[in-house]
This record gives sequence, C-alpha cells and structure tokens, in this order.
Amino acid sequence: MSPFTTAAFEAALARAVDAEHVAVKGGVFPAFHVAPASAAEICEVVVACREHRVPLHPAGVGGRPSYAPDDRPRVVLATRRLAQVVQLDETSLLVEAQAGLGGLELERILARRGLSVGDYPPVVLSSTLGGILAVRTPGKSSARHGFFEDAVVAVSAVLANGRLVHTRLAPRRATGPDLARALCGSEGIIGIITSAVLRVHRKPEARFLGAYLLPSIDAAVSAVLLALREEVMPSGLRIYDSEEAGAHFEGLVLPEGQALLVAGTAGPTDLAACDRDLLGSAVVAEGGGETDLGLAELWWRRLHAGEPTPAPAPALQVMARPSRLRAVYAAVKAAAAIAGAAARAHISRFDVDGAVVFFTFCRDGHVLLAADAGALVASCAAAADTAGGWLLGARATKLDSYLLALKRAVDPDGIMNPGVLG
Amino acid sequence: MFAPVDPDKLRLALEAIFGSRRVSLRLLDRQTYARDMWPRLLLARRQGEAPAHVPNAVVWPEHVREVAAVVKLARELRVPVIPYGGGSGVCGGVIPLFGGITIDLKRMRELRSVSGEDLICDVDAGMNGERFERELAHRGYTFGHFPSSIYCSTVGGWLATRAAGQLSTKYGKVEDRAAGLTVVTGKGEIIETDGPNRALRGPNWTQLLVGSEGTLGIITSARLRVAPAPQLRVYRGFELPDVATGIIALRRVLQRGLRPAVLRLYDELDTFLASMGHKSDKESDEDTARYAGASAATGDFASAPLPPVDGGALPSWPVPEPSERGGWMSRLVTLARDEGARKRLMKSASRAAQNAALSRGSMANRLFGAAATTAHRGCRLIVGLEGSRIRTEVEAQLTFAELEAAGAKDRGEEPGLAWLAHRYAVSYRMSPIFRDGAFVDTMEVASSWDRLLDLYHAVRGALAPHAVVMAHLSHAYADGCSIYFTFAASVEGARNAERVYDAIWKDGMEAATRVGGTISHHHGVGLLKAPYMAAEHREAMAIFRGAKAALDPDGILNPGKMGLVASRKEAP
Repeated sequence: MSPFTTAAFEAALARAVDAEHVAVKGGVFPAFHVAPASAAEICEVVVACREHRVPLHPAGVGGRPSYAPDDRPRVVLATRRLAQVVQLDETSLLVEAQAGLGGLELERILARRGLSVGDYPPVVLSSTLGGILAVRTPGKSSARHGFFEDAVVAVSAVLANGRLVHTRLAPRRATGPDLARALCGSEGIIGIITSAVLRVHRKPEARFLGAYLLPSIDAAVSAVLLALREEVMPSGLRIYDSEEAGAHFEGLVLPEGQALLVAGTAGPTDLAACDRDLLGSAVVAEGGGETDLGLAELWWRRLHAGEPTPAPAPALQVMARPSRLRAVYAAVKAAAAIAGAAARAHISRFDVDGAVVFFTFCRDGHVLLAADAGALVASCAAAADTAGGWLLGARATKLDSYLLALKRAVDPDGIMNPGVLG
Repeated sequence: MFAPVDPDKLRLALEAIFGSRRVSLRLLDRQTYARDMWPRLLLARRQGEAPAHVPNAVVWPEHVREVAAVVKLARELRVPVIPYGGGSGVCGGVIPLFGGITIDLKRMRELRSVSGEDLICDVDAGMNGERFERELAHRGYTFGHFPSSIYCSTVGGWLATRAAGQLSTKYGKVEDRAAGLTVVTGKGEIIETDGPNRALRGPNWTQLLVGSEGTLGIITSARLRVAPAPQLRVYRGFELPDVATGIIALRRVLQRGLRPAVLRLYDELDTFLASMGHKSDKESDEDTARYAGASAATGDFASAPLPPVDGGALPSWPVPEPSERGGWMSRLVTLARDEGARKRLMKSASRAAQNAALSRGSMANRLFGAAATTAHRGCRLIVGLEGSRIRTEVEAQLTFAELEAAGAKDRGEEPGLAWLAHRYAVSYRMSPIFRDGAFVDTMEVASSWDRLLDLYHAVRGALAPHAVVMAHLSHAYADGCSIYFTFAASVEGARNAERVYDAIWKDGMEAATRVGGTISHHHGVGLLKAPYMAAEHREAMAIFRGAKAALDPDGILNPGKMGLVASRKEAP
C-alpha cells in the first residue's frame, strides 16, 4: 500500500481516466470526482482506489453519490460518459446498454426501432440504467412486464479486485444462483455495474384505455384482483379514492367513498381488447360501471406524454400485498383522522407482489408537504406498518450480516461504496 | 478439511436431536442415500458395484429447528451436510463426496397455507411434487410446474436446482414462481428471504439461493406463486419443414406477446422415431377419451375439457416398460414417445446388430438421419394453451394463426392430446435401455434466439460421433429457448462406458459454451457439470464463491459440488 497523498492519488486517477476527467473538491478530506469513459477505465480507477485504500462511490444522474459523509478522502465515480447502447439484438429482443445511459434516453433510442423496455412508469426510467438496477424499490415494476430487474438477462460489473465480470447471457439457466442478482439492488457495494443486457419488447399492436366508477375503494381493489386472477395483464392501473380523484381531475366530483379506476391494456389487438373487456366485467361484478373515458386519457397523457401531474408529490408511499391493500388504506385514513388531518390516496404500480398506495395529507383544506408533516406521516407510517404494509425506500436489516459477509468476501478492503446497506 | 467421524459419537449427538427413530447409520440406508438418478452412477451399479461415497449417517428432520440443529452439530464436528429430496436429480448433486450427514427432507411435507387473494402458498421443501399439485388442485389452484419427475421429486429439490416443468412457457421456471424461501445457512441460522427482504432495498436473496443446490443453504420451506386452476386446456399438433423454420415460428409466437403453456418442437430424427411409434387409431382414441370428459370439442378449435379433481394435470401412474425382447433401438423409439412403437420397429434388426450400430454413434446417426430424410416427415410441434376460459380461447386463436403464418401446418388436436396423455412416461423408460446394455442421458442447454440454431448444430455435432442423438426444443421465452438433447450409446464394460459417457459430456458442454449457450437450462450442475462452471461463469464465479464464504463459512454444505472448490478428482 502506498502512503496516501492527494497529488499522488490524483495522478493515479489521471492515468486511469485522463486529467481532464478528474476534479478534486474539498480540502482536508477531498472528494475526487472522476468520469471514466469505459469499463476498462473503471477497472483502473478501482485498482487505484484499492492501492490507496480510498472508498469509491458510484453516482448516476446528477452525480449524487449515495454515501454518508465521511472523514477520509473518497472517489465519486460518475457514469455519465458510459452512456451508449452497446448492442441491439433484434432477433432475441435484447439490448445491451451502458450504466450511465438514462432510462428515458434508452427508451427514445428503442422507440425508433419500434421497441420499448416495457410498460414502466416514466418516473422509474428517469434515472440512469445503473441507478435503476443498483437501487431496488418495489415501484419499479409493471403488471404487464414484471419487476424491472426481471428484465435483466446479464450484467457486467467491476469488482473490488479490479476485474470486469460478465454474468452469462441466457434466457434461463440452472447453473447456480443468479449472480446478476447479487449486483442488482446491492447499491454498488458488491460491484459497479458498467452495462446490462435487458429484454425489450415490440411496441404493442394496440392499446386500449378504460375508466370506471366503483362504489368503494374496497370494491375497486376487488375488481382489479379479480381481473388479475383472470390473467388480465394491464399495461397500467390506478385507483383513486373520491378525494384524490377530485384533486387530480378538475371538476370531477365523486360521492364520498366512491372510487375511480383507470386502466390501460396493450398487446395483440384481440388480446388487448379481451383484457379490457375482462376488466370491465370485473368492475361490473363489483357493482361498478364505465365512466368518462377522458379521465383515463388524461391519466395516460400525464404518465406518458409529459402532461403535468398535480403537485405536490405524495407524502407517504406504502407497498402492500394484494390482500393487505384495503387494510393499509383504511389504517392510514384512520390514523390521519385521529391526528386531525385527512388522507387521500391513489393505488398504483400493481404487480404480482401487490401495489403501492400513495397518500397525500390535508389539514383544514390545505395540502401538507411531507417536510411539514413529519409527526403525522410518522404516525400514519406506523399504522401502515401495523396493517401489513412496507414503507417504500425502507430497508429490511435482518439479512445484513450475510450481505456484509458477502461484501467482505469480494471486497476485503471495503472500498466499494461503504456506508450504504448496513 | 473435514474431521474423521466417530460413528458412536455421531449417533449419540444425532439422537439427541432426532431421537433414535429418525437417525440411521445402517449401511443399507447410507448406500441408498449415496446416489441419485445420475446415469453415470447407473453404469457402475449395473455391474453390481457399491457406491464409492456414502454418508456417515442419514437423518429425517420434521421441523426447520431440527435442520438448524443438525447443521450446527455438523459445524462443531466438522463434517459435511447434504440435503436430500426425492433423489431424482440427474447430475449427482447429492453424492456425499466427503461423507457426512445426509438430511432427507421428505418428512417436512405439508402445504401449510394458500392465500387466494395473494396467489401465494406456503409449502414445506420435502413435499412430493405430485401431492403438492393435487392438494393445490383440490383448492382450485395450480403451481403450474410439471416436470416428468413430478411423482418422485420434491418442491425443495425443484428450488435447489432451478427446475423447469413442461408448462414453463406459461408458468415460468421454478425460480420465476418463488416469492420467498426459508433457508438454514451453513452457520445453522434460519433466514427468510420474503416479505420486506424481497420487496425492499438490497439484493434479491431469493434469487441468490434458488439454484444453489444445497451449497449455500438448505431450503426448508418456500412461499410460491400459484395460479387459479385452468378452466380451459387446448392442445394441437403442427408440422414444420425443418428445425430452422420451427425456431422462427416459436420465436414469432413468443415475441408477439403470446404465452402458450407448451411449445415443443421435435427435430427431424425425434419426429421420425416418434412417428415410427405412432399409435393405432384405437389407442389414440382411448388416450383422447381420457381427456375428453363429458363435453366434446367446442368452438372453432378443439378443446380438451378437464377431468375432475386435478384438472388433468396428473395422468395415471406411468407404467415402466416391461423387459422384453427388442433391444435398445426400440426403447429409443419409445423414448421419443409412444406405446405402440416396438411393434412396427425394424423387426429384422437383431439386438446384436443394434448394439453394433449404437457403439458407432456417427454411423447410427447417419442411418437414422437418412431414414428420417427419406420419410420426409419434417418436424413435429406440440402446442398447448391453458388458463382462464375466454383469454385462453383468444390466445389460442392468435397462437395458431401466428404459427400458420410462419409456415406450420395444422395437424389437428390428436398429436397434442397424445403428448398430453404420455408426457410423464419418458423418465420411466430409461431403465430398460440400461438393462439392455446401452445407456441414455439428456443434455439441456439454452441460448438467446440469435444463436439457437448454432447451438443446436454445435451440440448435435459434438455428440454425434459418440451416440445416437435426437433433440427437441421446449421451454421457449421471448428472448431465447432451451434445447433438450437425448443421446444413447452402447459400450462394452462399465469403465469404457464411463469413458465414453464423460467424453460425450465434455464435448457437448464445450460446444455449448463455445457458441454462447448455457451448460444447463433446468437439470442443474451437481457433480456432472461442475468442471464446466468456470467456462459458464468465468470471473463471475468470484461472486458465487463470495456468497459461499458468507453463507457457509466452514464449507460444510454439500462440498465438492458446482465447481466451487474441490472437484471430483480431489475427492478422497
């Protein structure tokens, strides 16, 4: 190990990525911002970090690294120069793209060939590919195309030993654990993702939208679950309670307690129409009926055509299994009422694991920002947790000892994004 | 690395956990648990040889706490532990290379709960596959996992090996259906990978443990996704001119977003051998009748209405072939499917002549190849769809139309129903081939669509000099497909047979990796494919080894497997 000096280390980094892509910020414990242009350059940066025992923090969009403030020098590795589509295999419908490429940019590139990564909410795609894959949250999924990380066929990453590894490309295999899954979701502590091979889909032949009114939130959830049991594969689904519907759609007044359901289906024309009709039948079975299609069209434009979504962002997001959705909704409504506030919500991001409930809180007719309603949000979060929900962005810590042991095994010097995930 | 075992001390320690009735150190039990259904082991066994490696003891836990206790004990004593399910594996994954304690999980066998709203069930790892599916069927659900070993394999075995069932194109492989696991790690700790551990930040532990074949942990129960039992089942046979056209047809169906349950394309030789075993009309009528039930075919296409209780998923117990004259060649034909095969098979070919042909695989392949070409039967494709009634009807029409647009000729529902009736039989027809002095095995590889035809030719070409080879493509995905090769050869003497057997695998595996295929799609690695794991994963093995160090720091879990550390050659 060489004794650390800022100049020597900066020189080592400059050898790896060229001086113009190294910037030193800060004084006693400087942060070295590097922007490598290839996986090979990342390997060299990692070797330099290992040599000097300097921790390395990857950063995607906006260069915001995910580390806690540290009391030693560190490297912030920006992936913005790794932003290419490496290969597009239109026979197998696979794309290999680098980690620094934005999800939306990838979607634009694919769109020109009539392809798409899938029916994911654009907000999911607003990070870089590396960021989308490295940080795992339940909202990154779609009823039609599954969890985003299920689209990953192979991953390339640089490990702490400075070696570039490629997990094997195959549609499925039975050759041990899915090693790509150690790199996805591990937030850079096992390895730095440099590129990934993703499954892509042809643009659907047809898309249909539907808007439905139901007598209650419970009935709306039941209708959706009934349709999913009939194997309907919607490209998007959202349930609004009456207050949320009023806030999201100007001039829409629903009787209290009722719910609005908007949905999209896609695929081969006959199948997409079939899915739409099955969903409509499920709504009727739960005592509901069709309503103004314009509501669904506006929802879809907001999701996919850039039309502005009503501010502010929801203050509390809770994931719940299908069977717990109604309980979580009711528990948070009750907890908010006890605290003298009102909660309204929409339920979205349905997949095989359940869905996410997005709550917004109001008091005296004014929307409360998350920052101004800490105690209220905390008590509602506790109620949601008791009702069987999981808070988005939270972390289960029970398996941390194994994760850290895995990290120690592949990164004995602890240089890879230390401080995150336990 | 491992400590010598004092049998008396071991017995006492195990009886303290299990009592005396669920521990055995008897040689007969230890020999029984020394092996699985790896064909290479059958070669030596045919010669009456005893297993080379046996465990020191066998235990039968009934609770996850007992599994944790025995792993802790093994850690203290520094002896290996090997989990054991149905013993139906075909890669030698349960061979106790260094002795140790074999843990038979089959007494942990309950379907604990089914949540209809979440479509999730909670099931013990030792539950037999057939019982699992029947109990789900009674409650109106299916797991959708139907391997030909379903009668003799366990849920835990499926998960440990990343198994696939015959309807995987719709339901996915077992890893696609795993929502969470309960696992005893090499430290003797019980961990659960579902709930927040699966949904929230951090890596997906379920996917890191599924397929680890007992080397990272012992799966004791699982939360698995179930589906409502199908309301409708539709089967058809199609014919395609050749494998290349067939591959394009399969790809078109999958990439259009359609999900049939079954898409099986047989290559020319497999189709030819199957056709030689084509049933008489009476026989096929009987098969069809079993599936036809009360209501006959309805609508524009024929449907297969469901028999009661199990939804027709599980036909009656497959009967092994009686030992009779005819030789391996007729067995091979029956492997390709049908019952009536032997009757019409080259009666003139004596067993000696057949064995002579099989001992020279290249000649036999040319012979069969020429016959198949002359017969000009093309490639048979079996298509099946199942699920909710309305959606399945729509999807079936779209699927059949897409296949016809890709050049497939509709052969009606009879070939589909015949396949459905006999789909479990193949695994029970292998032993007679061994009895006849030959051997047979299967090699399941996979790749993305762009290199699939290369994979087919490369592996076929690698196996052909040694053995008669036929193949079918099944387990199709939007991005690729698996190819299932069946090969048979006849070699005098167990040692010579093993040598040829090993050469076949070496050449096949190298050919598969060379063109970018994977070495296994759903049989797993075990001991058989351990030498090829380095070629399969290359530097990424560092991550697997890291997981091994984290979850099994003393290396006591199923040692010597999966290319992690010691290979077979290093075994004592």
